[in-house]
Amino acid sequence: MPFELSYRQTWLHKINPSFKFLLVIALFIYLIFVDNPNLMVNYAIGSVGLYFFFTGHPWKRLLLIALPFLLVFVTSSTSMIFFGEGEETLFNWGLVHITKESLFRGLHLGIRGMVFAILGVVFSLTTRPVLLFYSLMQQLKLKPKYAYSFMAAIRLLPIMLEELQTLRHALKVRGAVGGKGIRGFYEKIKAFAIPMLSQSIRRAHRIAIAMEAKRFLNVNNRTNYYQIGFSKFDVLLLLYFIGVGVLAQFASVNFPYFGIEDVRVIG
Amino acid sequence: MKEITGVEDLRLKFPGTDSLLLKDFSISIKKGEKVLLLGPSGSGKSTLLQVLTGLIPNSVEVPMKAKRVNIPKSWGFLFQDPDTQFCMPYVDEEIAFVLENLAIARDEMRHYITDYLKQVGLQFEDIHTPIQSLSGGMKQRLAIASVLALEADVLFLDEPTAMLDPTGTLEVWETVKKIGENKTLVIVEHKIEQVIDFIDRIILLNDDGVIVADGTKKEIFSDYKHVLVEQGIWYPGVWEDYLRNRSSPNETNAKKPIVTLKEFDVYRGKEKKVHIKDLTVNQGEWITVLGENGAGKSTWLLGLMNLLKTKGCYQIDNQDARRLSKLTDYFAFVFQNPEFQFVTNSVFDEIAYTLRLQNWSEDQIVRKVETLLARFHLQPYAKQHPYHLSMGQKRRLSVAAATVMEQPVLLLDEPTFGQDARNTFAILEQLQQMRNKGTTIIMITHDCHIVKHFATRVLYINDGRLTLDCLPLQYMEEKQQSLEV
Repeated sequence: MPFELSYRQTWLHKINPSFKFLLVIALFIYLIFVDNPNLMVNYAIGSVGLYFFFTGHPWKRLLLIALPFLLVFVTSSTSMIFFGEGEETLFNWGLVHITKESLFRGLHLGIRGMVFAILGVVFSLTTRPVLLFYSLMQQLKLKPKYAYSFMAAIRLLPIMLEELQTLRHALKVRGAVGGKGIRGFYEKIKAFAIPMLSQSIRRAHRIAIAMEAKRFLNVNNRTNYYQIGFSKFDVLLLLYFIGVGVLAQFASVNFPYFGIEDVRVIG
Repeated sequence: MKEITGVEDLRLKFPGTDSLLLKDFSISIKKGEKVLLLGPSGSGKSTLLQVLTGLIPNSVEVPMKAKRVNIPKSWGFLFQDPDTQFCMPYVDEEIAFVLENLAIARDEMRHYITDYLKQVGLQFEDIHTPIQSLSGGMKQRLAIASVLALEADVLFLDEPTAMLDPTGTLEVWETVKKIGENKTLVIVEHKIEQVIDFIDRIILLNDDGVIVADGTKKEIFSDYKHVLVEQGIWYPGVWEDYLRNRSSPNETNAKKPIVTLKEFDVYRGKEKKVHIKDLTVNQGEWITVLGENGAGKSTWLLGLMNLLKTKGCYQIDNQDARRLSKLTDYFAFVFQNPEFQFVTNSVFDEIAYTLRLQNWSEDQIVRKVETLLARFHLQPYAKQHPYHLSMGQKRRLSVAAATVMEQPVLLLDEPTFGQDARNTFAILEQLQQMRNKGTTIIMITHDCHIVKHFATRVLYINDGRLTLDCLPLQYMEEKQQSLEV
């Protein structure tokens, strides 16, 4: 199947998924409070390193997935760069008013957005959903009812993709090009959404019955096929981020890229 | 013998319907019996299986009342759709899911999993194999393995081969026969050819969900044949009976080529999936396309419709097919799942859709649609939503809507799939009528009876290549020979 990617197992794959999940969330929250652009750039370098060297995916795929990072960077920085407030004008053209302050704030936001994206992708590239949910059940006491619902839903995604393709063909054969503009768009949405939804609902209902036919609900003491524990790799990841944090702090003080320490107060 | 499952005075009604689906219904099945439930679509057979297992009302909330329901202590359920039986992505994980539910210790699981897989004849190098990569027949056998994991005494099978090709169907029934020897089997099935030899009791339901006959298979097939015919149920010899009453088709001898292919390749993405060296389709032919699942039959049809990338010479009516402004003027296409073809909110609009795109006047449209509604027996449903039709009606509507422009060539992807006898014959007759008027039919099918009695030519596709192009009779002979070998 084209939806199943092959990759090399690395130590990142062996980390406890719940731990990885919580660590990434914690980093997200921490990064929101980082206002020093020098520090932010260093964190970006740290995450990019993890992304390119330790996810175990081939270079070509990694570069391809990296393209949207650029988009994230551009979209999250430009609005601030073009329209943000500031004193020291660098460029002025109609509504667009770039100042030194807005430029740096924009870049800072862009890099932050990118770091978020990279960490998120690192997480999803190195975590099998099934193991994540087993771990959530075992370590974070998620109810099996929800965990298995998610796992069943993930199974439906490739089936839905195939269905979308068939539907596109069928509509084309019927000559269903639809009008132009908003009305055409609305009709297109309707033509796709209703059959897809009706199929999905029916399918979900059938899977639910099949699961209960396999005695899913009347269980209190279920066992687990996968036992997810902790390992030295969890410590390794923690150390990696502590290391990146310390180095980033050190480098931002001793070898700053910009003469700005806080994007909130510039000039 | 002791009763192992049964129900007494069952009353059941689906919300939103006017009448009871099952009314004062009683049934009793003894230990070790192999029972086949027969009845037209919508007679409540699947519902009954769900009541006997307690899935109704425990899992599916349907209002019901019964004096007594005897749910067997251990039961397993095999469903129709191979894709909606599983909740995990890998083979081992799926069986493990059952073992987890039964609280089997973790270190014993691997042993059990391999054992159950072996019992259903599935062998993998690594049991951690994606379910998505299995064929339909293998998926259903995996589902049987999970039923085995339940250590079930009673097996309920709800048309488990309705969506499989002949090879898959055979695999599944062989497996059921093997593992079911000491178990009680309750089977709902349309395609009864393979089931019939290990069944010992048949219960016959009619349209209203009433038991009209209950007895050994010999009794049923000799004494109740008229009921089987009336209800449009498949039975051994249904084809012979049908053919006896059929007027012989008109043979068209006009040999005018309509589609010409030379070194024609169809691609999916960058991969070449189908290669046809040289093929001419003549007007008025009824071509059946045969081959195993995944051989490239559907891909070929999609290529003909220009829905996939193609290379090589492709002419329709002596014109380059890729230069035609509208291929849909020449080809009509009927997909396997009719629902995907519906784009409007009523049966009438569905047929009128293409006509409106062609700017026909409303008068003309009404006249044309009415004739088609009449021809396809859909008049009473003109105002209904297409999704509310029955399986057979949906199929007829999809053919009517696709062929409204009377295109010279009709492509069909397994149009009789999952239909009962009555609907199958109804569709085939419509197609026959169209062919008599000169339409060329290219149709994917697995049904050898259609090949034998309707087709004028057989194309066999194997691994993307056309390996056989002959008359139906020749094909049947070759098949016979290969079976004997």
